Amino acid sequence: MLGFIESLLNGILMGSIYGLTAVGLTLIFGVMKVINFAHGSILMVGMYAAYWCVKLTGMNPYLTLLIVVPFLFCFGYALQRYVIKPIFDAEKDVREPITVIIVTTGIWYVLDNLAMIFFGAEYRVVQTSVTGKMIEFHEMYFSVAKLIGGGITLLCGVYLFWFLKHSRTGKAIRATSLDREAATLMGVNQSQIYNIAFGLGSACCGVAACVLIPFYYVYPTVGVPFDIKAFVIVVLGGLGSIPGAILGGIIIGIIETVGAQFMAATWTELLVYGFFLLVLFVKPSGLFGLRQDY
Amino acid sequence: MTFLSGQPPMVRNLTLLLLAGLFLLPTVVTSPSMLQIIILIIFYAYLTSSWNFVGGFAGVLPLGHSAFVGIGAYTSTLLYLTWGVSPWIGMLVGGLLASLVGLIIGLPTLKLRGAYFALATIAVGEGLRVLVENVEKVGPFEVRGPKGLLINLVEDAPLSAFQFQSKVPYYYIILVMLLAVLYLTHRMMNSKVGYYLAAGGEEPEAAEALGIKVSRYKLIAMAISCFLTAIGGSFYAQMFLYIYPKSIMGLELSYEIAFIALIGGRGTILGPVIGALLLRPVSDLTRIYLSSALPGLHLVIFGLVLIVVMRYQPKGLIVPLRHLFNRHIIPFLSRKNGKSDPVAPQKSE
Repeated sequence: MLGFIESLLNGILMGSIYGLTAVGLTLIFGVMKVINFAHGSILMVGMYAAYWCVKLTGMNPYLTLLIVVPFLFCFGYALQRYVIKPIFDAEKDVREPITVIIVTTGIWYVLDNLAMIFFGAEYRVVQTSVTGKMIEFHEMYFSVAKLIGGGITLLCGVYLFWFLKHSRTGKAIRATSLDREAATLMGVNQSQIYNIAFGLGSACCGVAACVLIPFYYVYPTVGVPFDIKAFVIVVLGGLGSIPGAILGGIIIGIIETVGAQFMAATWTELLVYGFFLLVLFVKPSGLFGLRQDY
Repeated sequence: MTFLSGQPPMVRNLTLLLLAGLFLLPTVVTSPSMLQIIILIIFYAYLTSSWNFVGGFAGVLPLGHSAFVGIGAYTSTLLYLTWGVSPWIGMLVGGLLASLVGLIIGLPTLKLRGAYFALATIAVGEGLRVLVENVEKVGPFEVRGPKGLLINLVEDAPLSAFQFQSKVPYYYIILVMLLAVLYLTHRMMNSKVGYYLAAGGEEPEAAEALGIKVSRYKLIAMAISCFLTAIGGSFYAQMFLYIYPKSIMGLELSYEIAFIALIGGRGTILGPVIGALLLRPVSDLTRIYLSSALPGLHLVIFGLVLIVVMRYQPKGLIVPLRHLFNRHIIPFLSRKNGKSDPVAPQKSE
């Protein structure tokens, strides 16, 4: 029983990190109606940035948040502004901007393989003050890095939710995702909102990347499993829904860790895909999805 | 061959000349490695043309087609290794199985936004790879997980064994397969299903309002596409006589197929062929000469080419090429032949 609770809690911690990457994806989708296939690659960029920060300066891994998150915001902003925007503008009235989806897959390929060329295919781990540390609680063991990571990502998720609900920019983002034309008529600068949304989505990846660094290895295609999980999570939570993404992330995290108690770890991956297809069959709008969005 | 007679004489003659050249090619190209590269170009053109049925005409983005390549390859190979069933028959069984899987994925997702379909195909593609990598044995079938399957080379194999010492038979088989799938594409484009799909791809709501069951026709396209892709997979297995999950079921192959179609021009007959002709040599050459120094360079090139093409020619490279062909090459050749009648066909296909 204790083992079950232990894996359940571990699942929640890992799941909240998955959840935050998915929040970034769902935010971008909500505003632009584009699935950003390069999302995992942006996470990879963030992880390499955090890795080199820690490796070269020896700073505390959680201090890198102050560098990596703004860096990824700018990275996402620039990516949207200079690469995606020209293509998006050409088909923004189309119901399904498929060319943009294609371009994001192109970006995924370029980023992942550039990382392969620059950093090589090896798995890199960095030793930090929290790496490998465990904490005992009623004969259950938790990794300190995962506890801190899960806490930080949950806080960020809640903050982002509050930001979208109450800040001026957040309201503009929500207005744009509900109705582009009406938002424009209310004086919202659409393309600026797209840039900011893309930047924020990337910044979410930045947070996840920094908290992953103390206990996860970095390699050029590290984004792919996170990417695929993020896709599953956003569909599960409902495309465009932020609470849905966080909750979906936690559900996927639990499925993975609890599943690993009963079967080999590779099979849990299959469990996640199976669960995803089940959701598509049974309730394609997801847990919190809006009818208009699917 | 009615579609040939509809073309202006110059286009018809050029097409016939090209076909004759293709059929005589193995008499000129005798080096097996060169022939292998050509076979792979045709093979990719074939896979991409099969992808085109659903990716090009149904207006959605399938990103997991390697799953069907894998189903085809594994079905025919397992049937052959376990019960000695001829791969020619296994090919068809694999095709039917792939159609079934395609229908199962398509049924819930083709009604939804295209993003769902793209995501579901990725999940199925990756899921199937993970499944095969984790299975050693199912019933009588030895799947052998990540180690893959090896088909033993038999001396003087009968035709039913689908294995040849020389590359030439493979060349003719894949060439005929490509021509067949191109002909099928042509037939579909000019059929009721093709028109319905075109209408549904552009304006699904409007098409539904006119009484077209868009998702049903998308499902038909999906089934055809999966069937043809799986047959290609069986061909791959018989050509290399060795398959393993990473080689034929990875995301990488799925993406390569989609990229070739998108860069060449999806939703056209010749787009996939042009894409394969342009991109396969790039990938082969960089893989041979640069892969030790710069691994993954060909994929960076693919990605960059894709981004640039989508930016400037979102309909694919076939558009400027067709323009060049119709406006410059045809009039130039006609002038040379001393014909006073300049033929400028509306469509070169």
